[in-house]
Amino acid sequence: MSEPEESWFSYGKEIFIASGIYLLAIFLTFEAVMPVQRILIPDFTSFASLLFLPHGVRILTAWLLGWRSVIALFPGIFLAFVYVGGMNVFEPSRLTAIAITVLVAPGIFQAVYLLGWDIRPQADRMPCWPCIMVVGLIISLVGSVLINFALGSETASYFAYLIGDFFGLFFLMLIMMFIFRSLRRA
Amino acid sequence: MTRISKLTELKKLMRGMEYSMGLEDLTTVERDIYCAASELAASSEGAETVHMLEHVLVTNVSRPTFFRALKSLVNKGYLSNRDEACRGCYTVHKPYA
Repeated sequence: MSEPEESWFSYGKEIFIASGIYLLAIFLTFEAVMPVQRILIPDFTSFASLLFLPHGVRILTAWLLGWRSVIALFPGIFLAFVYVGGMNVFEPSRLTAIAITVLVAPGIFQAVYLLGWDIRPQADRMPCWPCIMVVGLIISLVGSVLINFALGSETASYFAYLIGDFFGLFFLMLIMMFIFRSLRRA
Repeated sequence: MTRISKLTELKKLMRGMEYSMGLEDLTTVERDIYCAASELAASSEGAETVHMLEHVLVTNVSRPTFFRALKSLVNKGYLSNRDEACRGCYTVHKPYA
């Protein structure tokens, strides 16, 4: 890898882009998706979003950057917790939840690789998007169990988080697919 | 992995998704020519223009349309010229597989 690519400036840009997109996804989810969700499904009282776009950002960042996604996403995830929960962010349960959110995705990608399933991006092959969806689901499953345990949420929220994460990843990929498609045609 | 290659990997991921969903940007003529070329390539080393033009899927296509579509398929990476010596010989590539 060339020297400029390893520079602090490059890492800074990586953090800025990944955390920035994560925060944008958080903002969209809480300010646009959730109000619509409350209108469409008024009986659904859970705090969970059924279209949680930030999960998609986490998965794709972890897939692309591996363990470096921990550093790239940490500021974004920390600020997202501040945005959602205010200064409660320094409570031990919140700090645990932040750590889980940051670590689970690259950890699971590493685990599936060690188990012999290599879906890492490589120059000489096409990425397998359904495989990323499956790993995204595993990450969501592990993450939601651990985070709900840390935050002491209701059991119903586990399923809501799972559904939100799955559709969040799928729709984020779909949105990106149409963005790339329109850029190609422009 | 460089910044450009990360973007390339993302683009590849999205193209794969696009292809799986049947949203690949091939016109009807391009699709017919690609199918014809794939069939020809299965029985020989590659596909030649003369044989593609005789294929049942392509016979109704006018020559200018055929060559425009052929050029487009090469640009999109579905076909590539096999070698310099044989200008009408093409190698068929599996899209996003």
